[in-house]
Amino acid sequence: MTFRACSKQPDILTAAADGRELPAALSAHLASCPSCREQVDAAVFVRGLAATPDAAHRLPDPAVIWWKAQLLRRWQAERAASAPIERMRWIELAAGLASLAAFLGWQWQSLVNLVARAIPAGVAAASAAPQGASPVALMFLVLGTASLGAMFVAALHRRLGGDMH
Amino acid sequence: MVEHAATLDAEDVGAQQAETGARAELLTETEFQDLYRLHARPLWAYLFRLTGNTADADDLLQEAFCRMLAARLATRDDDQLRAYLFRVATNAATDLWRRGGRSRRREEPLADESAGAVPDREDAALKHDMARTFRELKPQERVLLWLAHVEGSEHREIAAALGLKAASVPVLLFRARRKLAGLLRKKGYGPGERS
Repeated sequence: MTFRACSKQPDILTAAADGRELPAALSAHLASCPSCREQVDAAVFVRGLAATPDAAHRLPDPAVIWWKAQLLRRWQAERAASAPIERMRWIELAAGLASLAAFLGWQWQSLVNLVARAIPAGVAAASAAPQGASPVALMFLVLGTASLGAMFVAALHRRLGGDMH
Repeated sequence: MVEHAATLDAEDVGAQQAETGARAELLTETEFQDLYRLHARPLWAYLFRLTGNTADADDLLQEAFCRMLAARLATRDDDQLRAYLFRVATNAATDLWRRGGRSRRREEPLADESAGAVPDREDAALKHDMARTFRELKPQERVLLWLAHVEGSEHREIAAALGLKAASVPVLLFRARRKLAGLLRKKGYGPGERS
Protein backbone atom coordinates (compact mmCIF):
# COMPACT_ATOMS: atom_id res chain seq x y z
CA MET A 1 0.00 0.00 0.00
CA THR A 2 1.43 3.37 -0.96
CA PHE A 3 1.23 6.57 1.06
CA ARG A 4 -0.60 9.06 -1.14
CA ALA A 5 -2.42 11.32 1.28
CA CYS A 6 -4.42 14.17 -0.13
CA SER A 7 -2.83 17.55 0.58
CA LYS A 8 -6.01 18.82 2.27
CA GLN A 9 -6.22 15.85 4.61
CA PRO A 10 -4.35 17.33 7.61
CA ASP A 11 -6.63 20.40 7.62
CA ILE A 12 -9.75 18.30 7.28
CA LEU A 13 -8.69 15.91 10.04
CA THR A 14 -7.77 18.78 12.37
CA ALA A 15 -11.10 20.47 11.80
CA ALA A 16 -12.94 17.19 12.31
CA ALA A 17 -10.99 16.55 15.52
CA ASP A 18 -11.90 19.94 16.90
CA GLY A 19 -15.54 19.32 16.05
CA ARG A 20 -15.58 22.52 13.99
CA GLU A 21 -17.77 22.91 10.98
CA LEU A 22 -15.64 22.66 7.86
CA PRO A 23 -15.12 25.77 5.79
CA ALA A 24 -17.03 25.66 2.50
CA ALA A 25 -13.93 24.91 0.43
CA LEU A 26 -12.91 21.95 2.61
CA SER A 27 -16.47 20.72 2.82
CA ALA A 28 -16.72 20.70 -0.97
CA HIS A 29 -13.40 18.91 -1.20
CA LEU A 30 -14.50 16.30 1.33
CA ALA A 31 -17.62 15.57 -0.70
CA SER A 32 -15.54 14.88 -3.78
CA CYS A 33 -12.48 13.16 -2.25
CA PRO A 34 -13.02 9.51 -1.27
CA SER A 35 -9.60 9.30 0.39
CA CYS A 36 -10.31 12.21 2.73
CA ARG A 37 -13.79 10.85 3.43
CA GLU A 38 -12.54 7.48 4.54
CA GLN A 39 -9.86 9.09 6.70
CA VAL A 40 -12.41 11.31 8.42
CA ASP A 41 -14.86 8.42 8.81
CA ALA A 42 -12.21 6.32 10.54
CA ALA A 43 -11.20 9.15 12.87
CA VAL A 44 -14.81 9.90 13.75
CA PHE A 45 -15.47 6.21 14.37
CA VAL A 46 -12.56 5.93 16.83
CA ARG A 47 -13.71 9.00 18.73
CA GLY A 48 -17.23 7.59 18.80
CA LEU A 49 -15.87 4.39 20.26
CA ALA A 50 -14.08 6.35 22.98
CA ALA A 51 -17.32 8.07 23.84
CA THR A 52 -18.98 4.74 24.56
CA PRO A 53 -19.73 4.75 28.28
CA ASP A 54 -17.76 2.28 30.37
CA ALA A 55 -18.65 3.67 33.77
CA ALA A 56 -20.21 0.39 34.85
CA HIS A 57 -16.83 -1.29 35.17
CA ARG A 58 -15.33 -1.04 38.59
CA LEU A 59 -11.71 0.01 38.40
CA PRO A 60 -9.02 -1.64 40.55
CA ASP A 61 -8.82 -0.21 44.06
CA PRO A 62 -6.15 2.52 44.15
CA ALA A 63 -5.21 1.53 47.71
CA VAL A 64 -4.24 -1.94 46.48
CA ILE A 65 -2.16 -0.44 43.67
CA TRP A 66 -0.49 1.87 46.18
CA TRP A 67 0.52 -1.01 48.45
CA LYS A 68 1.63 -3.15 45.51
CA ALA A 69 3.86 -0.28 44.38
CA GLN A 70 5.29 0.06 47.89
CA LEU A 71 6.17 -3.64 47.91
CA LEU A 72 7.68 -3.36 44.46
CA ARG A 73 9.73 -0.35 45.52
CA ARG A 74 10.97 -2.15 48.64
CA TRP A 75 11.88 -5.20 46.58
CA GLN A 76 13.75 -3.03 44.08
CA ALA A 77 15.60 -1.28 46.92
CA GLU A 78 16.59 -4.67 48.38
CA ARG A 79 17.82 -5.83 45.02
CA ALA A 80 19.79 -2.64 44.52
CA ALA A 81 21.32 -2.99 47.99
CA SER A 82 22.27 -6.61 47.52
CA ALA A 83 23.62 -6.16 43.98
CA PRO A 84 27.20 -5.33 45.14
CA ILE A 85 27.16 -8.39 47.43
CA GLU A 86 26.06 -10.57 44.54
CA ARG A 87 28.81 -9.13 42.38
CA MET A 88 31.33 -9.70 45.18
CA ARG A 89 30.37 -13.39 45.34
CA TRP A 90 31.35 -13.88 41.74
CA ILE A 91 34.53 -11.86 42.23
CA GLU A 92 35.27 -13.98 45.29
CA LEU A 93 34.84 -17.20 43.31
CA ALA A 94 36.92 -15.89 40.40
CA ALA A 95 39.66 -14.68 42.77
CA GLY A 96 39.67 -18.07 44.51
CA LEU A 97 40.06 -19.93 41.24
CA ALA A 98 42.73 -17.51 40.03
CA SER A 99 44.65 -17.91 43.29
CA LEU A 100 44.41 -21.67 43.01
CA ALA A 101 45.65 -21.57 39.43
CA ALA A 102 48.50 -19.25 40.38
CA PHE A 103 49.43 -21.46 43.33
CA LEU A 104 49.37 -24.61 41.21
CA GLY A 105 51.44 -22.90 38.51
CA TRP A 106 53.94 -21.71 41.08
CA GLN A 107 54.19 -24.83 43.21
CA TRP A 108 53.42 -27.49 40.61
CA GLN A 109 56.78 -29.22 40.77
CA SER A 110 56.78 -29.25 44.59
CA LEU A 111 53.27 -30.72 44.61
CA VAL A 112 54.24 -33.41 42.15
CA ASN A 113 57.24 -34.28 44.32
CA LEU A 114 55.08 -34.29 47.43
CA VAL A 115 52.54 -36.63 45.85
CA ALA A 116 55.34 -38.83 44.49
CA ARG A 117 56.84 -39.10 47.98
CA ALA A 118 53.43 -39.92 49.45
CA ILE A 119 52.86 -42.63 46.85
CA PRO A 120 56.10 -44.54 46.57
CA ALA A 121 54.96 -46.55 43.57
CA GLY A 122 54.50 -43.35 41.57
CA VAL A 123 51.47 -41.58 40.23
CA ALA A 124 51.65 -43.25 36.83
CA ALA A 125 51.61 -46.71 38.30
CA ALA A 126 48.71 -45.79 40.57
CA SER A 127 46.59 -44.49 37.70
CA ALA A 128 47.49 -47.46 35.51
CA ALA A 129 46.42 -49.94 38.16
CA PRO A 130 43.82 -48.32 40.40
CA GLN A 131 43.19 -51.57 42.24
CA GLY A 132 46.72 -51.48 43.51
CA ALA A 133 46.70 -47.78 44.43
CA SER A 134 47.77 -46.92 47.90
CA PRO A 135 45.12 -45.85 50.45
CA VAL A 136 46.77 -42.41 50.68
CA ALA A 137 46.32 -41.80 46.94
CA LEU A 138 42.70 -42.88 47.15
CA MET A 139 42.18 -40.59 50.10
CA PHE A 140 43.65 -37.65 48.09
CA LEU A 141 41.39 -38.50 45.21
CA VAL A 142 38.24 -38.74 47.35
CA LEU A 143 39.03 -35.59 49.33
CA GLY A 144 39.86 -33.63 46.16
CA THR A 145 36.63 -34.68 44.45
CA ALA A 146 34.60 -33.97 47.57
CA SER A 147 36.14 -30.49 47.89
CA LEU A 148 35.42 -29.63 44.27
CA GLY A 149 31.87 -30.98 44.61
CA ALA A 150 31.30 -28.96 47.78
CA MET A 151 32.60 -25.80 46.09
CA PHE A 152 30.32 -26.35 43.14
CA VAL A 153 27.25 -27.03 45.30
CA ALA A 154 27.99 -23.97 47.45
CA ALA A 155 28.35 -21.75 44.38
CA LEU A 156 25.17 -23.15 42.88
CA HIS A 157 23.29 -22.64 46.14
CA ARG A 158 24.42 -19.03 46.36
CA ARG A 159 23.46 -18.39 42.76
CA LEU A 160 20.01 -19.93 43.08
CA GLY A 161 19.45 -18.33 46.45
CA GLY A 162 20.36 -14.96 44.93
CA ASP A 163 17.89 -15.45 42.06
CA MET A 164 15.05 -16.23 44.40
CA HIS A 165 15.43 -13.10 46.51
CA MET B 1 -5.98 18.41 17.85
CA VAL B 2 -5.44 18.66 21.58
CA GLU B 3 -2.07 20.09 22.49
CA HIS B 4 -0.14 17.72 24.69
CA ALA B 5 2.99 18.48 26.60
CA ALA B 6 6.17 16.61 25.89
CA THR B 7 6.25 12.93 26.60
CA LEU B 8 7.81 12.25 29.94
CA ASP B 9 10.58 9.76 29.57
CA ALA B 10 13.82 9.30 31.43
CA GLU B 11 15.70 11.80 29.24
CA ASP B 12 12.93 14.38 29.57
CA VAL B 13 12.98 14.02 33.32
CA GLY B 14 16.73 14.55 33.33
CA ALA B 15 16.43 17.56 31.02
CA GLN B 16 13.74 19.12 33.18
CA GLN B 17 15.82 18.66 36.27
CA ALA B 18 18.76 20.31 34.60
CA GLU B 19 16.61 23.23 33.47
CA THR B 20 14.51 23.84 36.53
CA GLY B 21 16.64 22.31 39.21
CA ALA B 22 13.54 20.38 40.26
CA ARG B 23 14.24 17.39 42.43
CA ALA B 24 12.84 14.10 41.23
CA GLU B 25 10.61 12.72 43.93
CA LEU B 26 8.29 9.83 44.48
CA LEU B 27 4.59 10.55 44.57
CA THR B 28 2.86 10.75 47.92
CA GLU B 29 -0.26 8.68 48.52
CA THR B 30 -2.51 11.74 48.27
CA GLU B 31 -0.91 12.83 44.99
CA PHE B 32 -1.34 9.30 43.68
CA GLN B 33 -5.03 9.19 44.66
CA ASP B 34 -5.64 12.48 42.85
CA LEU B 35 -3.80 11.26 39.76
CA TYR B 36 -5.69 7.99 39.81
CA ARG B 37 -9.04 9.76 39.98
CA LEU B 38 -8.04 11.93 37.04
CA HIS B 39 -6.41 9.43 34.69
CA ALA B 40 -7.50 5.91 35.58
CA ARG B 41 -10.81 5.92 33.71
CA PRO B 42 -9.51 7.17 30.32
CA LEU B 43 -6.44 4.96 30.62
CA TRP B 44 -8.61 1.94 31.40
CA ALA B 45 -10.87 2.71 28.42
CA TYR B 46 -7.79 2.84 26.19
CA LEU B 47 -6.46 -0.44 27.56
CA PHE B 48 -9.83 -2.12 27.26
CA ARG B 49 -10.11 -1.11 23.60
CA LEU B 50 -6.60 -2.41 23.01
CA THR B 51 -6.91 -5.74 24.77
CA GLY B 52 -10.59 -6.46 24.42
CA ASN B 53 -11.10 -7.78 27.93
CA THR B 54 -11.53 -6.26 31.33
CA ALA B 55 -9.04 -8.52 33.17
CA ASP B 56 -6.11 -7.57 30.91
CA ALA B 57 -7.14 -3.92 31.05
CA ASP B 58 -7.20 -4.08 34.87
CA ASP B 59 -3.79 -5.77 35.00
CA LEU B 60 -2.19 -3.30 32.63
CA LEU B 61 -3.73 -0.35 34.43
CA GLN B 62 -2.26 -1.56 37.71
CA GLU B 63 1.10 -2.18 36.09
CA ALA B 64 1.21 1.30 34.56
CA PHE B 65 0.41 3.00 37.88
CA CYS B 66 2.84 0.75 39.76
CA ARG B 67 5.61 1.66 37.35
CA MET B 68 4.78 5.32 37.74
CA LEU B 69 4.86 5.01 41.52
CA ALA B 70 8.22 3.28 41.38
CA ALA B 71 9.70 6.07 39.25
CA ARG B 72 11.11 9.32 40.58
CA LEU B 73 9.26 12.04 38.72
CA ALA B 74 10.58 15.53 38.28
CA THR B 75 7.20 16.91 37.31
CA ARG B 76 3.65 17.01 38.63
CA ASP B 77 2.22 18.42 35.43
CA ASP B 78 -1.00 16.55 34.63
CA ASP B 79 -0.49 16.52 30.86
CA GLN B 80 3.02 15.16 31.19
CA LEU B 81 1.99 12.55 33.72
CA ARG B 82 -0.90 11.52 31.49
CA ALA B 83 1.43 11.16 28.49
CA TYR B 84 3.83 9.18 30.68
CA LEU B 85 1.07 6.86 31.89
CA PHE B 86 -0.18 6.18 28.39
CA ARG B 87 3.33 5.48 27.24
CA VAL B 88 4.05 3.10 30.10
CA ALA B 89 0.69 1.37 29.59
CA THR B 90 1.37 0.99 25.86
CA ASN B 91 4.75 -0.56 26.62
CA ALA B 92 3.15 -2.94 29.10
CA ALA B 93 0.50 -3.91 26.54
CA THR B 94 3.19 -4.45 23.90
CA ASP B 95 5.09 -6.66 26.36
CA LEU B 96 1.91 -8.65 26.93
CA TRP B 97 1.44 -9.21 23.20
CA ARG B 98 5.08 -10.11 22.72
CA ARG B 99 5.02 -12.58 25.60
CA GLY B 100 2.03 -14.54 24.44
CA GLY B 101 0.81 -13.12 21.18
CA ARG B 102 -2.81 -12.28 21.78
CA SER B 103 -4.01 -12.62 25.31
CA ARG B 104 -5.49 -16.00 26.09
CA ARG B 105 -8.28 -14.26 27.90
CA ARG B 106 -11.51 -14.14 26.01
CA GLU B 107 -12.58 -10.89 24.47
CA GLU B 108 -15.67 -9.67 26.20
CA PRO B 109 -18.12 -6.81 25.94
CA LEU B 110 -18.47 -4.33 28.74
CA ALA B 111 -21.47 -4.64 30.98
CA ASP B 112 -23.04 -1.66 29.28
CA GLU B 113 -22.20 -2.99 25.81
CA SER B 114 -23.66 -6.44 26.20
CA ALA B 115 -27.13 -6.88 24.83
CA GLY B 116 -29.63 -7.19 27.61
CA ALA B 117 -27.68 -5.08 30.07
CA VAL B 118 -29.30 -1.90 28.84
CA PRO B 119 -32.84 -1.17 27.83
CA ASP B 120 -31.84 -0.37 24.25
CA ARG B 121 -30.58 -3.71 22.96
CA GLU B 122 -30.04 -2.46 19.46
CA ASP B 123 -27.79 0.31 20.72
CA ALA B 124 -25.84 -2.13 22.88
CA ALA B 125 -25.37 -4.52 19.97
CA LEU B 126 -24.16 -1.65 17.80
CA LYS B 127 -21.62 -0.59 20.42
CA HIS B 128 -20.41 -4.13 20.80
CA ASP B 129 -20.07 -4.49 17.06
CA MET B 130 -18.16 -1.20 16.86
CA ALA B 131 -15.77 -2.48 19.52
CA ARG B 132 -15.31 -5.76 17.66
CA THR B 133 -14.59 -3.92 14.44
CA PHE B 134 -11.90 -1.90 16.18
CA ARG B 135 -10.35 -5.07 17.58
CA GLU B 136 -10.00 -6.48 14.09
CA LEU B 137 -7.15 -4.05 13.62
CA LYS B 138 -3.61 -4.98 14.64
CA PRO B 139 -2.58 -3.87 18.14
CA GLN B 140 -0.20 -1.27 16.76
CA GLU B 141 -2.95 0.17 14.58
CA ARG B 142 -5.30 0.39 17.55
CA VAL B 143 -2.65 2.21 19.58
CA LEU B 144 -1.94 4.60 16.74
CA LEU B 145 -5.57 5.47 16.13
CA TRP B 146 -6.47 5.80 19.80
CA LEU B 147 -3.52 7.96 20.73
CA ALA B 148 -3.97 10.17 17.67
CA HIS B 149 -7.73 10.60 17.66
CA VAL B 150 -8.82 10.11 21.25
CA GLU B 151 -5.83 11.27 23.25
CA GLY B 152 -4.79 13.83 20.66
CA SER B 153 -1.15 12.84 21.07
CA GLU B 154 1.46 14.35 18.82
CA HIS B 155 3.27 12.19 16.31
CA ARG B 156 6.48 12.17 18.31
CA GLU B 157 4.60 11.06 21.42
CA ILE B 158 3.01 8.21 19.51
CA ALA B 159 6.39 7.33 18.06
CA ALA B 160 7.91 7.27 21.55
CA ALA B 161 5.11 5.07 22.87
CA LEU B 162 5.50 2.57 20.07
CA GLY B 163 9.25 2.75 19.58
CA LEU B 164 8.89 4.07 16.04
CA LYS B 165 10.44 6.93 14.10
CA ALA B 166 8.27 10.03 14.25
CA ALA B 167 8.40 10.28 10.45
CA SER B 168 6.69 6.90 10.07
CA VAL B 169 3.72 7.80 12.26
CA PRO B 170 1.73 9.81 9.65
CA VAL B 171 2.17 7.02 7.10
CA LEU B 172 1.13 4.31 9.55
CA LEU B 173 -1.81 6.41 10.75
CA PHE B 174 -2.96 6.94 7.18
CA ARG B 175 -2.82 3.21 6.54
CA ALA B 176 -4.57 2.36 9.80
CA ARG B 177 -7.40 4.80 9.05
CA ARG B 178 -7.71 3.41 5.55
CA LYS B 179 -7.86 -0.14 6.88
CA LEU B 180 -10.46 0.81 9.47
CA ALA B 181 -12.51 2.61 6.82
CA GLY B 182 -12.38 -0.56 4.73
CA LEU B 183 -13.64 -2.62 7.67
CA LEU B 184 -16.39 -0.11 8.32
CA ARG B 185 -17.52 -0.25 4.69
CA LYS B 186 -17.54 -4.03 4.82
CA LYS B 187 -19.70 -3.98 7.95
CA GLY B 188 -22.07 -1.40 6.58
CA TYR B 189 -20.92 1.53 8.66
CA GLY B 190 -19.75 3.43 5.61
CA PRO B 191 -21.05 6.88 4.63
CA GLY B 192 -24.72 6.77 3.82
CA GLU B 193 -25.04 3.31 5.32
CA ARG B 194 -25.31 4.44 8.91
CA SER B 195 -28.73 4.93 10.31
